[in-house]
Order: sequence, then C-alpha cells, then structure tokens
Amino acid sequence: MAESRMAFLIDTSRCIGCRSCQVACKQWNKLDADKTVNQGTYENPRDLTSNLYNRIRFIEKTDGGNLKWLFLNERCVHCGDAGCMKVCPSPGALYRTREGFVAFNAEKCISCKYCVSACPFGVPRYGADEKVSKCHLCFDRIGAGMSPACAKACPTQTLQYGPRSGLVAKAKAAKKTLYGEADLAGLGVLYLLDDKPEVYGLPANPSIPTSIFLWKDVLKPLGLIGFWGSIVGVLTHYVTFGPRKLEEENSEKGGGAHG
Amino acid sequence: MGKYVERFNARERILHWFVMLSFFMLVFSGLGLYSRIFHGYFDLFGGGEAAIFIHKYMGVVFFVSSILLFLNHYKEMNSFDEDDRRWFRLLGGYLDRDPEHINSGKFNAGQKAYGLFMGIATILLGVTGFINWFPASFPIGIVRLSLLLHGTLFLIFIMFVIVHAYLTTIGNPGTLESMIYGNVRRIWAKTHHPKWYKEISGQ
Ligand code: HEM
Ligand code: SF4
Ligand code: SF4
Ligand code: SF4
Repeated sequence: MAESRMAFLIDTSRCIGCRSCQVACKQWNKLDADKTVNQGTYENPRDLTSNLYNRIRFIEKTDGGNLKWLFLNERCVHCGDAGCMKVCPSPGALYRTREGFVAFNAEKCISCKYCVSACPFGVPRYGADEKVSKCHLCFDRIGAGMSPACAKACPTQTLQYGPRSGLVAKAKAAKKTLYGEADLAGLGVLYLLDDKPEVYGLPANPSIPTSIFLWKDVLKPLGLIGFWGSIVGVLTHYVTFGPRKLEEENSEKGGGAHG
Repeated sequence: MGKYVERFNARERILHWFVMLSFFMLVFSGLGLYSRIFHGYFDLFGGGEAAIFIHKYMGVVFFVSSILLFLNHYKEMNSFDEDDRRWFRLLGGYLDRDPEHINSGKFNAGQKAYGLFMGIATILLGVTGFINWFPASFPIGIVRLSLLLHGTLFLIFIMFVIVHAYLTTIGNPGTLESMIYGNVRRIWAKTHHPKWYKEISGQ
C-alpha cells in the first residue's frame, strides 16, 4: 500500500465551520438525520453517530478575552495500523481498500463491538441494526473515479484528497503542526493543526492500547503454544511415566498408592 | 461388603455434567472470537452472531452451575494439611514410575487447587464476560482490560481442563466411573484416597 497509498489532508485553518461535509456525506450515504437539541453551541450534532460519519468539532478557545473558534473535521482517520482491524473476528467486516483506507461491510459484521474498544480515536458507532458504521472514505465513489463526497462539497478546500506522499510534502512545506504522518504506521487522514493536538481533542501520541496489544499480539500466539503444549504434555506423560494402574483387586499388596 | 463405594451423589454428577457441557459450548462458541483462524467454528452455531448469542446464555448456565458445584465441594477443598503439602512436594507422584505412598483425603492437593481455581476463574470469567456483553456501559479502559482478562482466563482454563481430563480418564483408570455411576471400586479408593477410604469404611 506504500506507493499508491492515498490520503486526506485536512488543513484546519481553512475550515469555516459550514458543515457542508457533514451534509454531503449524509446525502451520498443516504444517512438519516439525527434529532438534536440546542445545547448553547453552534456545534451540532455533538458526537459522531451511526448516521453521521464526519462532523465538525467546534473548539472554543479564549485568548485575551477574545473567543476564537478552532474547527476539526472529526472522523475515522484510516490508521495504517488499525486497532479496529486487529481485533475484528469476522474476516471482511473491516477491510483495507486498494487506496489504503479502512472500509466496512455491514453484512459481515457480527456485532461483537470489539472494534469500538480497540479504536484509539473512539470512532466506530452502532446503529439500530447493531452493525458497525463509520467513514469508509467513499470507497464506492473512489472506485468509480470520483472524489470523496465531503471533499467535493468543501468550499474552502479544507479537505484535500490525493496521493499520500504528495500531501505529506505539501503539508511539510506549510510549516505547521502535521498530525498523523508516522503514528500508527501513518494515518490516512492527516491534519494540519494551529495548536497542540490535545487542544483539538486528539490524542498526542495515538497508539494501539496496551491491553489490546497484549490481547491480540501476545495472548493469541501464546494460546496455540499453551493448547498444544498441554496436549503434547499429557500424551508424553502417558507414554513415559504411564497411567496409574490399580493393583489386582484381591491382592493384598499395598504400596504403589499415590493418591 | 460390596465392591463399590459412593464418591459423587446424583446432584454432584448432574452439576458436573452441566458445567462440562456448558464449558465446551462456551469454548467452541468463543473460539471464532478468539482468533480469525477459528472462524470456521462459527459454522457449528450457524454464524458469528448466533455463536455470540449462544455464548452469552451458555455463560449464564456455566456460571450458575459452576458456582453451585464449587459451593458443593467447598468444604472438601478449602483446607490443606501436611499430607497435601507432601503431595505438592512430590507432585502427586506423577513424575515417578513407582511413587511413594501419599495419604490423601477425599480430594488430593492437586484436585483442591484445581477446584479453587475453577471457582475463582468462574467468577472472573463471569464478571469480564458480563462487561464484554455490555461494552457501552463501562469505561473503555475497563472493557479493554476485561477482553484481555477473559481471553487469558480462557487459555489458562483450557490448559487446566486438558490436564484434568487426562488425569480423570486414561491417566488414572477407574476414575471416570465416579462421574458416570457415582461409585468407585474399593481398590481405587484405597489406592488414590486412602485417608478418605478409611473415613468412610472404617478400615
Ligand atoms: C462465565 C460466564 C461467561 C460469560 C457471561 C461470557 C461472556 C462472553 C462475552 C460476552 C464475550 C464477548 C462475546 C461478544 O459479545 O462478542 C466472550 C468472549 C469469549 N469467551 Fe466468554 N463468557 C463466559 C465464560 C467463558 C468460558 C468458560 C470460556 C471458555 C473457557 C469462554 C471463552 C470465551 C472466548 C474464547 C471468547 C473470545 C474472547 C477472546 O477473543 O479472547 N467464556 N465471553
Ligand atoms: S480511526 Fe479507529 S476506526 Fe478508523 S481505522 Fe483507526 S482504529 Fe479503525
Ligand atoms: S463489531 Fe463488526 S466490525 Fe466491529 S469488530 Fe465486531 S465484527 Fe468486526
Ligand atoms: S469520505 Fe465519504 S464516507 Fe467519509 S466522511 Fe467523507 S463523504 Fe463521508
């Protein structure tokens, strides 16, 4: 996937918070509207849902008495080393596309919810059908030679789609904080940030959670050793030390007991 | 004097079979979740979702029957005496072709340890299984640890069960009868659990 890997570069400073991307995604993916309530902020909805694959996070920053907004397009960032794929027990439910993104197939999803626990960014959601849903990077549009719906709708070119290496070079030239270049084998969604990642609610050093690593990369291989080791162990005992035969019932000979 | 003595009553045997059957159902329905290598085991249940469904409810059956069995035998398992310490030192004589005499009671030290492990592991598998069942209701860090712990206990449990199954069948001929008919031959009792045999037969 290295050479041909595609990516998004999200230049947060260009974003004007118009949410065209949210609407375009809903339109293309035929996702229903969620009912929301006014919570005293322009941010709406307040969280990703199974009907909302991307949204603009409004971060209100006060600096010297002035209120300043930071906008972040929140979505699945299509990790190169994806926690969700690592734990998914159902082959094909989450899969990597030719462009290097992580798409899903709800028909293969068995609703175990492991991916929710393994994602370092808290992305996967479940709908009423109990199936996984998240940004699939418009695999159906890209496959047909179109650009992703959200990028197409963005009036300020905040969302730029293209070959990853080119976008990385461009981002470096901008001399801003580039987020996601190397983390988790490189994210498929790179951010150009005006402030520290934490300010945007992004983990500073995203990584596969330790417990998930131990579970899938340590325990799983140990399991095969443990299982076959036990089988081979008892069979070896049988042919070396041998079973504990009982003395003839009527013989009075004691001893040999081991309890 | 009959040839047999009673070792497990009907209630104990039925509980044991409940524990064993639900345990194997849990293993086979859980395998496909444990690793994609075992995806084929889902077919035994008609797919992954069905396997998860069965796993959850078999978990309840296992939990209840295993706890009842544990409480049933708790008194016989929770004390270790000098003979038991000797059993541990000699590893039950299993690594000796002509073992020394060990004066074990109704359960030997290895069986006691296994029984206590079963009780603790059942509780932990139940608690972590419950958390995995409702992942959205717990903090994500707890769910991650719980998945790790559930898988770890599963592995340790399987290894214990393999050894247990060996020792109660071909490893010690005559033992399986106790779980099927409830009775064992006197010579078996005298050989394996002399202290217990003395208690129940007075000789
Ligand atoms: C005591 C009650 C138990 C409950 C309530 C329980 C419940 C669960 C649940 C909810 C899951 C996650 C399934 C899902 O929703 O996707 C799970 C996974 C699993 N369970 Fe259990 N379980 C129990 C006991 C056991 C036992 C006794 C075994 C076998 C010894 C076992 C083996 C497994 C395995 C292998 C997995 C896959 C986890 C992994 O990938 O590490 N479970 N269990
Ligand atoms: S952000 Fe989460 S859901 Fe998206 S690829 Fe990474 S681990 Fe998977
Ligand atoms: S919920 Fe679905 S997509 Fe997520 S890990 Fe389980 S099977 Fe895979
Ligand atoms: S890439 Fe496609 S699926 Fe992902 S947020 Fe944009 S429009 Fe939605």
